[in-house]
Amino acid sequence: MAVSTIYSTQALNSTHFLTSSPSSSTSKQVFFYRRHQSQTNRRFNTIITCAAQQTVVIGLAADSGCGKSTFMRRLTSVFGGAAEPPKGGNPDSNTLISDMTTVICLDDYHSLDRTGRKEKGVTALDPRANDFDLMYEQVKALKSGIAVEKPIYNHVTGLLDAPELIQPPKILVIEGLHPMFDERVRDLLDFSIYLDISNEVKFAWKIQRDMAERGHSLESIKASIEARKPDFDAFIDPQKQYADAVIEVLPTQLIPDDNEGKVLRVRLIMKEGVKYFSPVYLFDEGSTISWIPCGRKLTCSYPGIKFNYEPDTYFDHEVSVLEMDGQFDRLDELIYVESHLSNLSTKFYGEVTQQMLKHADFPGSNNGTGLFQTIVGLKIRDLYEQLIANKATAPAEVAKA
Amino acid sequence: MATIATSLNIATQRAVITSKRQPARLACPVRLNNPWNLGSRTTNRLVSFRPVKATPEGVISDKVEKSIKDAEETCAGDPVSGECVAAWDEVEELSAAASHARDKKKDSDPLEEYCKDNPETNECRTYDN
Repeated sequence: MAVSTIYSTQALNSTHFLTSSPSSSTSKQVFFYRRHQSQTNRRFNTIITCAAQQTVVIGLAADSGCGKSTFMRRLTSVFGGAAEPPKGGNPDSNTLISDMTTVICLDDYHSLDRTGRKEKGVTALDPRANDFDLMYEQVKALKSGIAVEKPIYNHVTGLLDAPELIQPPKILVIEGLHPMFDERVRDLLDFSIYLDISNEVKFAWKIQRDMAERGHSLESIKASIEARKPDFDAFIDPQKQYADAVIEVLPTQLIPDDNEGKVLRVRLIMKEGVKYFSPVYLFDEGSTISWIPCGRKLTCSYPGIKFNYEPDTYFDHEVSVLEMDGQFDRLDELIYVESHLSNLSTKFYGEVTQQMLKHADFPGSNNGTGLFQTIVGLKIRDLYEQLIANKATAPAEVAKA
Repeated sequence: MATIATSLNIATQRAVITSKRQPARLACPVRLNNPWNLGSRTTNRLVSFRPVKATPEGVISDKVEKSIKDAEETCAGDPVSGECVAAWDEVEELSAAASHARDKKKDSDPLEEYCKDNPETNECRTYDN
């Protein structure tokens, strides 16, 4: 969305200054004008106004307990700086702010609070519990550079708290259950990601998360997943067809009859033909490759690592799928793998490894989830830089005409 | 299934062993261990005491427990109704909140927290030149 207006001085013949700015206070105005306009030549004197800030909007969809927070931390780390809740505001705010990014949790757009949902018998997954009109209005406003008062949904009390002021950032990430559900919001997204966790893996992760809580038992965790499944399949799962990148997490195929769920098979499904997004590939773009890096040059422990790369179709779209099965044990495995992947959008050799090591304590740092989340983070950075560069050159081209 | 059960047993064991209570708040005057008046101390009836307020993650844990009981009761009647589903969804939401609170607590450093809000105090000054 280019916010550049060009005025011809035929309307502004005097030496007046334009002081008012219709866009946000962060816009910069560049004046080019000539004092005396000559009658004969047909050149226009132009005043070019450009907003300095173009907000890039990224959408991230996943069910609860599926790694959205971890992904957010990795993503903000790629851009630099730690993301923190707004200072001096509601301590139960779900928003995270860093220098370049602001992460908004879409739970804040619930139209029904916890008691309301209980009365009506709807889950948070149901679109009836969410205010998509407000979501669309506010995301559109932030994208245009206007600050908004966003409501806060307090997860502890289950109530809607007083709104907080959100300034338009350079990169806006909206994460939650329904970023791609509403068509208008979907059109505002510059890039969208869906984390698709298979049922077995989801069960294993939730057990890990909840068994430390008193009151929870295996049956209660299972009942909770089962009860939410119908709503999840009806409302959340269909969003994956709209995503530009899907990270699919499945149980491993390397260990026969594995039921521990420690080793994971992760597939990065990248849509072809998305503007500013070039998929990662292994060895040769568009071909089918199966690669086991462990061998003479690299020794891995059981069960090893296996990579697959192939073109495919996913919900009637052309996609490229990069798949990793297994775990990284050592640093040199990671750097070896990185050196063989192409189109990673890194700025220097070893950047992926460095990012993974920086957050070695995050879950998934030793398998494909961490690797692909980091790669998607770098791709988003690349997309952001291309978008900004593109918008900067567009007004210059118009001025030439 | 057996392996899952055993790994769960281990998990719960670990949970029981490592769960810590918050340091208790002082509800009585401070006692100094000065050697010259150790002998004249009165008996220690007032020493043991309990925390005055529930800690935040204690609050959430209680909520999780209560919501699980509620959900089980609601679903005992009719397992497919909207109320049952909404009750389990609430359990899920509270479990997620509890897990986030645990993670936040694990990372937080009391000095860093204080210095974020008060960078000009003596403890928080940095001299970088």
